[in-house]
Amino acid sequence: MFKNPSLGNSDSSKEPEQTKVPLTINLQENLQHINNSLGNSSDIVIREIQIGSERQIKAAIIFTDGLADSKSIQNFIMESLMLNIANADPNHLITSQEDIFQVLKDHFLTAGDIKDVTEWGPLLTSLLSGDAILLLEGYSKGFSIGMRGWKDRGVTETTTETVIRGPKEGFTESLRTNTALIRRKIKDPNLWLETKEIGRVTKTDVAIMYIKGIVSDDIVKEVHARLDRINIDGILESGYIEELIHDETYTPFPTIYHTERPDIIAADLLEGKVAILVDGTPMVLVVPIVLISFFQAAEDYYQRADISTLIRILRFISVFISLLGPALYIAITTFHQEMLPTQLLINLAAQREGVPFPAFIEALMMEVSFEILREASLRLPKAIAQSISIVGTLVIGSAAVEAGFISAAMVIVVAITAISSFVLPAYNMAMTIRMLRFLMMGLAASFGLYGIIIGVIAIVLHLCSLRSFGVPYMSPLAPFILEDQKDTLFRMPRWAMFSRPRMISKNNIIREQSTPPEKPQDNTGG
Amino acid sequence: MKRKGLLLCIFIILLIFVTGCWNRRELNDLAIAVGIAIDKSGNQYKVSAQVVEPGEVSGKKGGSVAPVTLYQATGDTILEALRQMTTISPRKIYLAHIRILVLSESLAREGIRDSLDLMSREPETRNDYFIVVAKQATAEDMLKILTNLEKVPSIRLFSTLETSAKQWAPTTTVNLDKLISELVSEGRHPVLTGLNVIGDKKIGESKKNVETVPSPADMQYSGLAVFRKDKLIGWLSDEEGKAYNYIDNNIKSTVGHVNCPDGGKLSLKVIRSNTKVKGSLRDEHPRITIEVQSEANVGEVQCHLDLTKTETIAEVEKLADRKTEEFIEKTIKKVQQEYKIDIFGFGEVIRRSYPKAWKKLKKNWDQTFVNIPVNVKVTHKIPYLGKISNSFLEDMKE
Repeated sequence: MFKNPSLGNSDSSKEPEQTKVPLTINLQENLQHINNSLGNSSDIVIREIQIGSERQIKAAIIFTDGLADSKSIQNFIMESLMLNIANADPNHLITSQEDIFQVLKDHFLTAGDIKDVTEWGPLLTSLLSGDAILLLEGYSKGFSIGMRGWKDRGVTETTTETVIRGPKEGFTESLRTNTALIRRKIKDPNLWLETKEIGRVTKTDVAIMYIKGIVSDDIVKEVHARLDRINIDGILESGYIEELIHDETYTPFPTIYHTERPDIIAADLLEGKVAILVDGTPMVLVVPIVLISFFQAAEDYYQRADISTLIRILRFISVFISLLGPALYIAITTFHQEMLPTQLLINLAAQREGVPFPAFIEALMMEVSFEILREASLRLPKAIAQSISIVGTLVIGSAAVEAGFISAAMVIVVAITAISSFVLPAYNMAMTIRMLRFLMMGLAASFGLYGIIIGVIAIVLHLCSLRSFGVPYMSPLAPFILEDQKDTLFRMPRWAMFSRPRMISKNNIIREQSTPPEKPQDNTGG
Repeated sequence: MKRKGLLLCIFIILLIFVTGCWNRRELNDLAIAVGIAIDKSGNQYKVSAQVVEPGEVSGKKGGSVAPVTLYQATGDTILEALRQMTTISPRKIYLAHIRILVLSESLAREGIRDSLDLMSREPETRNDYFIVVAKQATAEDMLKILTNLEKVPSIRLFSTLETSAKQWAPTTTVNLDKLISELVSEGRHPVLTGLNVIGDKKIGESKKNVETVPSPADMQYSGLAVFRKDKLIGWLSDEEGKAYNYIDNNIKSTVGHVNCPDGGKLSLKVIRSNTKVKGSLRDEHPRITIEVQSEANVGEVQCHLDLTKTETIAEVEKLADRKTEEFIEKTIKKVQQEYKIDIFGFGEVIRRSYPKAWKKLKKNWDQTFVNIPVNVKVTHKIPYLGKISNSFLEDMKE
């Protein structure tokens, strides 16, 4: 509907021309070319030097100020080239006749990551990624030296997914830090990392991480295929990728999970899922995902099984309330008054005396004003947000009731619904439930409980039709897989969860072979 | 295809805004009726509906207005009368939450079947309300008395009957299902609990009734109305009512007393009771055996008895057995001789045990019932004496 296939190719066809152009042997020309390509951008630093024992070789170091670590450049490139060569062992004297690049690489450049560049495209990309470029007079190639080092946020505690028990660190905006955070948790050679560059203009690094041998190869292939299909000018957040590769656009349910917790990613990788990391955002995508994962928090696995199971049940109850709370209230008070105990009915009727709106309008007003409050306090600085919510509760809670616009019971229903909707660990799923709640309210107001049942059936049918990278969204409930039930509604003790989710990790499902803990032999004899 | 889907979506979204159709009713559009009273006036029915004033019943406010109001209308049928109420009531009478249905004695003597059809046909109603008969009074009077403790009189009538049936036994709770199944049964006739107003009816209708201690007027359950099919033919006293409930295996808890050998009384709290009614056939003559097994605690001792001895307890048990047997037998005899109809469901018992013989018996069952020999056997067990064993009366020196 919204696709425009003619756009994609014509635009991108211009750019390869420049990327394939080789460097010239003239240093000045090359420098000129850089300046022209980048429009004399002021953050590009070009330092021309002369190296060699007799200082007869002209060279230039180019780097982007702010992206490259200028201290390292001074220590490991400039110092080596300008001082160390001059004072070097006579065996390594630099003369213009030798393959000077090999000598520099072998003996003088004390940097870890050195790549040859011969064409303009890669040269500019690595320059703008923060590498230092070394060019020499008389050579149509240069070095790209890994000198990336910029100010980033550092690893801090996650703000969106907090836990009581468990690691507190969260991903940052830098891809390399993020991959390191995952590697620190999984030190297996089978943890593979593949990097792609996506975005014609932004050239954003996108990394795919999985554990070879656990992951199903089909899924990796599918992820690659879908990522390769992306043709876009820029990727600024993993949300761009998510929207471009997910299975179904016309669904309120997210079919890709995202998190900023390395421990969740590590756990998902161990279950045979694929992580997609995008440079510039702490949100890492996970595919494939099933519905039930959105109801499971990291903490479920760090606490004891019984606590986790109870909390999980509590979470399902909250989802139920969050989805159906106002709808049930509307349906029962406007269609099925006979279902209420007499005393309760009289009580509710007393509260509704003098309320001018139908229950549906009442609920809608309350829900909408709550959503406004929520959205407002989300965008505000924390200090102001607090006062907003106090005003909100005062205005909506007591003033509206006292003014007779709203019945007190409705305030209770909306409040419990609102609180329930925050119990879900996944914010995007909570939003989904929130959207569907309005639909259910409409159905309840039109058809009563009958409408609610129809709505729930429609939602379940829709959920059963969804897939995430080929995995049924409702598994392991539909299709029903008995072994996977131990980590679905309940969370069995750790030793009992010996297998990986069957639909995701198809070929390597044995996770552990621990035995249940035993009491020690009693040696004291009583 | 896509356009169709889009249209469908739009229709579904539009559907949300067409609320307010069908039978949607807001809570404040309902006149919640909690009690219905049916009287006969000439050939017409006079229906009274006790409707709750919700604002007065719940919450902290209120006080100046009575918690309920009574709408009355007369019509050829009950439904007509109910609908006619809309001419005086601003809201439609909502029948789902009826707690009590009061039928007047005069109506009951003429037959109640016509009044019950509406109640069982109306889809709105729940069948969990109790049906009672206003004893020697009009039914509407029963819904006019304001009550204390429970502001809504009908709810109070409901819980009073429930509590007394559980704790005291002479009353019995009958809801519509039970009444109808007894009406259609060939081996049983129904009974209903009687209701009466004690005290000054005039003051009872005003708020003064709940302002003084004790209330000048109150409602009290007393006796059981005996029906032949759907027509009331007489009343059972409280003790007879208790016997009825013993036979009906309907005793949850009750209190009775025995006379001690030396004069004075000892009351027993029945905490558990189980009745088995068995029918047997001898030469085509049915007989009935009633076995009551009762567990009771000593509740109150007003005589000199050494309760620490097992022999004494056994003696008391025997006294209680004989006393209960006596009043059950007396009641059965009274019903057999006076009313000549089977209210105990002996016919049902025979039907279940001897379905073949029942086919012959059922034609003249009520005549057979009059002469049916009934053997009553009651066994009491007294496991507990309460907080003390012997009464302190034993230690008191006079």
